Amino acid sequence: MPYWYFDKKDIRNSPSFREGIDYETEQRYRREGARFIIDCGTKMDLGYNTMATGVVFFHRFYMYHSFKTFPRYVTASCCLFLAGKVEETPKKCKDVIKTARMLVDDKKFKTFGDDPREEVMTLERILLQTIKFDLQVDHPYSFLLKYAKSLKGDKTKLEKMLQMAWTFVNDSLCTTLCLQWEPEIIAVALMYLAGKLSKFEVVDWIGRNSKHLRWWEMFVEDMTMDLLEDICHQVLDLYSQSQQQASQQDSPPQTQPEPSTKPPPQSHLPPSKLKPDLVAPPHSAIPTLGAQYPQRVAPPPSGHYPNPYPAHPVPIPNIHPVHAVVPPGSQYYGHHRPPPAAGRPYYPPQ
Amino acid sequence: MYEYSADTIQSLNLDSLDLGDKKYDELCQIGCGAYGTVFKARDLQNKGNYVAMKKLRVKLNEDGIPMSTLREISILKQLDTFEHPNIVRFFDVIHQNILSDERYLTVYLIFEHVDQDLGSYMEKCPPPGLSASKVKELTRQMLKGVDFLHSHRIIHRDLKPQNLLITRAGGLKIADFGLAKTFDYDMMLTSVVVTLWYRAPEILLNLGYGTPVDIWSIGCVMAEMWRLVPLFCASTEVEQLKCIFRVIGTPSMNEWPENISLMWSSFEQYSKVAFSAIFMDCCSKANSLLESMLTFNPADRISAADALEHPYFKEKENEPL
Ligand SMILES: Nc1ncnc2c1ncn2[C@@H]1O[C@H](COP(=O)(O)OP(=O)(O)O)[C@@H](O)[C@H]1O
Ligand SMILES: [Mg+2]
Repeated sequence: MPYWYFDKKDIRNSPSFREGIDYETEQRYRREGARFIIDCGTKMDLGYNTMATGVVFFHRFYMYHSFKTFPRYVTASCCLFLAGKVEETPKKCKDVIKTARMLVDDKKFKTFGDDPREEVMTLERILLQTIKFDLQVDHPYSFLLKYAKSLKGDKTKLEKMLQMAWTFVNDSLCTTLCLQWEPEIIAVALMYLAGKLSKFEVVDWIGRNSKHLRWWEMFVEDMTMDLLEDICHQVLDLYSQSQQQASQQDSPPQTQPEPSTKPPPQSHLPPSKLKPDLVAPPHSAIPTLGAQYPQRVAPPPSGHYPNPYPAHPVPIPNIHPVHAVVPPGSQYYGHHRPPPAAGRPYYPPQ
Repeated sequence: MYEYSADTIQSLNLDSLDLGDKKYDELCQIGCGAYGTVFKARDLQNKGNYVAMKKLRVKLNEDGIPMSTLREISILKQLDTFEHPNIVRFFDVIHQNILSDERYLTVYLIFEHVDQDLGSYMEKCPPPGLSASKVKELTRQMLKGVDFLHSHRIIHRDLKPQNLLITRAGGLKIADFGLAKTFDYDMMLTSVVVTLWYRAPEILLNLGYGTPVDIWSIGCVMAEMWRLVPLFCASTEVEQLKCIFRVIGTPSMNEWPENISLMWSSFEQYSKVAFSAIFMDCCSKANSLLESMLTFNPADRISAADALEHPYFKEKENEPL
């Protein structure tokens, strides 16, 4: 079984990089692909899990193939198409293509070839072979809900914090975090970030025992502050990039300038859905995290950042004391992920 | 610029891509079932270890690979992460003719290779047959595997000696499950006759089914291990039912399910034969377990979890069956 987590240096030394695409460009391609899957999925009324699954497929695919060989928007369409089937929210291939057509300009749509449907169908088989039929993917969302349920405190504040964490998870799809860390870990880090930014300090939680200093120790073992901050910064970095890109537009560096007459197709969307999350305060406005967290805090994103998935409001089931939510001990050991073989749970003899 | 070049996948030379590199060396055919062929092969990337390759043809529809196939293969992968000792290990899945736009996709499922199936194990078994403790041990392992499948909401539907593998160490592993929707009955290769011998009455009566169908099959296999001949064998549904009723008795009119085409009155009235009369050399606990597995009404049939708690399994190994 392939192992889907990589070191940062493996991610840098990707097939695209080896074919001459520099790191920043590849990161941007990944971001654009992920964003495209989310936009396309939102237009088609697909749920957040389907979109997230599509994005994870996309990131995994480019750990084995180059953006040079496989143009990103076709791949992204195919990932969403496959994710739809996997999550049992299937969409017709031709409808995915129709939606994709609305979201990209003519030039980009050329990469879909003369017979876009056939192109996506063929790509589906390549995609499946590449991701090895590992189709069941967990996402941080369910862990956010699970963690929130166990936290005690002011309910309104908790909800606000959860909402913000949810938005961070959405945005994290545009990074390669899903290639680095398990969803449990990402959920902890981004909930921690949301807690910091929304000033929701977790002092008590259900299932707390005397050994626990932090709430997440109940769920994930040996999570270092370094790791936590590293994950948070990878997400926060997106906002500074989106600032830079705002002037640069969506267009990649190329000899021919984008035709300026043609507005980006996204502008057909209602403003609330336009670039949902990336309209964030500049990076510099978000202070470094950690113990010496300063008082001047950037406004919490919940007001600023429209939730990109209004159709799927964050359900907060039962935050009130729930009994016996203490999960079994986790197998995670901070930076040192278990090797694939050892990481698989062994079926306990009865 | 490459990024907007009109290069499409169709025009690529995919042979150069790292997709279909040869990883397995086919040796010989070891099985031919209703839906595909099974080969013994060497895993070239893994010290040439033996594996079993199951070759399937998946029918593509207008939206590519059917959703049910995708789900079922991914469930097989998920289940495998539990490494249940009574389930055959599933290593890999690969497929062929990626580029051709045929209506079928050839998929190979790669499993661990196990020496033989229970069918050939019983065939080779010298008289007087399997020991009482062996029968008990294999039945327990069958139940454990099936309990695991059922707890993951998987119904095997086709448990029989040919789908139960026996390892060199004498362990039992269940094979050939989880592709129920991918390969429904109407997709079967026509030349293959599917045995009815282990089918529960509700399947024979076309009533839909649930997890109890597997328990029925385990009952049949357990009886067969003891006697070395199949318990109920007929070649049509009605004959198979008659065969069953001759042993467990024809159900009463009240017990007969409603809304089915087969009339209760079309069956002769057989009265129940005591299991102790069929399995005379079986201990009473074994007979009592058999009886609770071979119950006509699926709602009254024992579950795998309960069967594992049956007094039969509480006895010491060396006592007579
Ligand atoms: N992992 C395996 N190791 C050894 N033999 C196997 C293995 N899997 C299947 N076989 C043999 O091949 C036969 C057919 O395989 P099976 O998976 O049952 O396919 P089918 O759906 O065609 O019945 C089995 O009855 C068994 O004898
Ligand atoms: Mg079989």
